Parts: sequence; C-alpha cells; structure tokens
Amino acid sequence: MRSRILLLVAGVVASLLVIVPAASAADAPPEIPLSIDKSQFQPSEVKVKANAPFVLVITNKGAKAAEFESKDLRVEKVVPAGKTVNVRIRALKPGTYAFIDDFNHQATGRIVAE
Amino acid sequence: MGGTFVVTLREGFEAALILGIVYTYLHKIGAARHYHYATRGGLLGVVASVALGVLVTALSGPLLDLGPDVIGLGVIFIAVIVLTWHGYWMQQHARAVKGDVQRKIDEAQATHRLWIIGVIAFTGVFREGAETVLFLWGLLSQATSTSSWASATGAVLGLAMAAALGWAIFRGGRHMSLQRFFAVTSILLLLLAAGMFSTGVGRLEAMGFLPQSPTVWDTSSALDDHALVGGFLNGLVGYRARPSLLEAGSYLVYLIVAGALLFRGGASKPRPRSPRRPIPAQVT
Repeated sequence: MRSRILLLVAGVVASLLVIVPAASAADAPPEIPLSIDKSQFQPSEVKVKANAPFVLVITNKGAKAAEFESKDLRVEKVVPAGKTVNVRIRALKPGTYAFIDDFNHQATGRIVAE
Repeated sequence: MGGTFVVTLREGFEAALILGIVYTYLHKIGAARHYHYATRGGLLGVVASVALGVLVTALSGPLLDLGPDVIGLGVIFIAVIVLTWHGYWMQQHARAVKGDVQRKIDEAQATHRLWIIGVIAFTGVFREGAETVLFLWGLLSQATSTSSWASATGAVLGLAMAAALGWAIFRGGRHMSLQRFFAVTSILLLLLAAGMFSTGVGRLEAMGFLPQSPTVWDTSSALDDHALVGGFLNGLVGYRARPSLLEAGSYLVYLIVAGALLFRGGASKPRPRSPRRPIPAQVT
C-alpha cells in the first residue's frame, strides 16, 4: 500500500516536471514589468490587453521578501529580496483583478484587462 | 508590529490546527506513545521549509519561476490524499471504538498506519512553511532599527499565537468525547481538504493545465478573501470571493465524493443490527 502511494506521488510529480517546462516553452507572450519597492507596487495599476496571455515580471527591489498574491488570478508567489520572478498569466476577460503583497498588506495593486 | 503578527499567525494557523488535531487523535486512540510520528513529520516539515526557503533564495530563472509552484501543487494534492484517507480511517475508528477491547484492536490496526499521521503533520507544516521562513528571514535580517525589531517581534509572537492555538485544540480536544471529537474533526478536515483541492485545481487552471472557466460569483466587496476574516475562512474552509466554475465545482465534487465515502459508509453499517428492521411497514 505504502509503496503504491509513493509510486503514485512520484508519478504525479514526474509528469508535472515534464509538462510544466513544455507548457512554458510554447510561445512568448508580452512581458509586463512590476516592481516592489519601499513596500509599494510600481505601478500599482497594471494595464494589459484582455483575452491575451502575458508574463508578469515581478522584481523585488526591497530588502525583504514579498509575496505576490492574487486570489483572482490564483497566483501565490514568493519573491525573495532582490530577485525577479516571472509569472505567466492566462488570457484575462476584461475586468479588474486585485493583487496584494501577502507579507505586507499595505502594498496592493490591480491589473486592469481591457 | 500588528501587520507581521497577522501574517505569521495566518501562515501558522493551518499547521497549528492540523498538528493540534493529529496529536489529539493519537491521544484519543490510545497511541500517545506514538506522538513521535506527528513530531517527526512536523520537524521534517520545518526542515523542508527551511531548505526550500534557502533554495528559493539561491535559485533564479525558470527554476525560481516554476519550481516552487510545482512543489506547492504536489504538497497540496498529497495533503488532500492523506487528509481524505485519514478522515476515512477516523470514521472507521469511531465505529470500532466502543469498549476497551475494541479500543485495543483498534490501536493495533492503527499503529501500522500511523505514518500517515506523519505525512499529514509534514504537509500541514510544509505547505505554508517555506513562505513563513522567507518572511521571517527577511524581517530578521533587516532588524536593525527599533521599528523593524518590533515587526520581527510581532512575527514571532504571531507564530507563538498559532502554536498556542494548536495547544488549545489539543487541550480542549482531549476532554471532548471520542465520538464528538471524531465527528467535529472529520468535518473540519473534510472542509479543509475540499478547500485545498479547490485551490490546487485553481492553480492548475491558472497554469494552463485545465481549461479556463468563468467566475461563478463575486462576493469580494462583502467578504474579501485577501482581508483578515475572509483570509482565515479561506484557510479554514476554502472560502473564495471570486471562484471560477472549476474551483467551485471541484470543491463541491470533493465534498460530495469524500463526504459520501466518510459519512454514508459510517451510517449504513451499524443499522442492520438496530431493531428497525423487523417492522414490516413496506406495504404501501
């Protein structure tokens, strides 16, 4: 029983490892920069084209780790101090999508897809 | 200080809840001498969290972009599996434990599956663990001024508060009757697992492995899931202010399937022995 579970888990992890890079190499959507500095998002309102995928390039210029989180976008991403993280976002319907630094709730922002 | 207190309290809450429940569970089934399963699982979770925290800080490029997500997803689904399994076994135990003799049989049955408890403790700690490590690390490494020390203190107090909550669950749970404890925690863990499952499905959807589905409802103005209360409800029962159809659907499907596995099976077994059978009221 135990080995079967382990096998199952290993299978799931292995298939994810195979699928994830394949999916990310498909095409090159536009990169939208977003930085975190002095506990604020720059810019705090990100305008993107609706119905087209894009990549959020999040740079943490502060000295503390930040966590880009958006329940609307289903993203939860730690950005260590001084690091840059790319987050692929799928095509969004026109609308407003809130995000927040989960480590510092003063820092908020939104993506406006139009 | 208040802000960092809330962050670590929220991150540590789920771990505390799960650890509180598994220790109480071990106590309840008379397996107190097997606490080390939970302890080792929890400690391993801490070690893995620190390791992932260090790794994330050291990584860059695609590995940093995707690595934590893949690990996060894996942990979510493993947690859902072990929690469901555990819930199922709790129901079995609740039915089996009537007298002392059966309790002993039960203990014997339980012992060789106690490693599941370890996995639950591990996933409970590890799920938000790496984040907490990175958060604390950032605070402590920057703690030079008085205000930053206050932030760091707040963060540590938040973790301590979470630990105290876990301890309170353990203390309170021990005095609850076995049946009630199993009933309450079964439902609690079922909702927790449903929330995790739905989160995992949502992540898969966001990453492009599942088709995108429309938003089912929007209650973000009434109860924002980023805010304090909504955030706790999100961690506890998987509340979402703007769920997609797939997320809401997977939550419901999980509840129905796992609920049926846990409770319908639990109610049907003792029935045949109850004196309801002989009543010949079948003629209509």
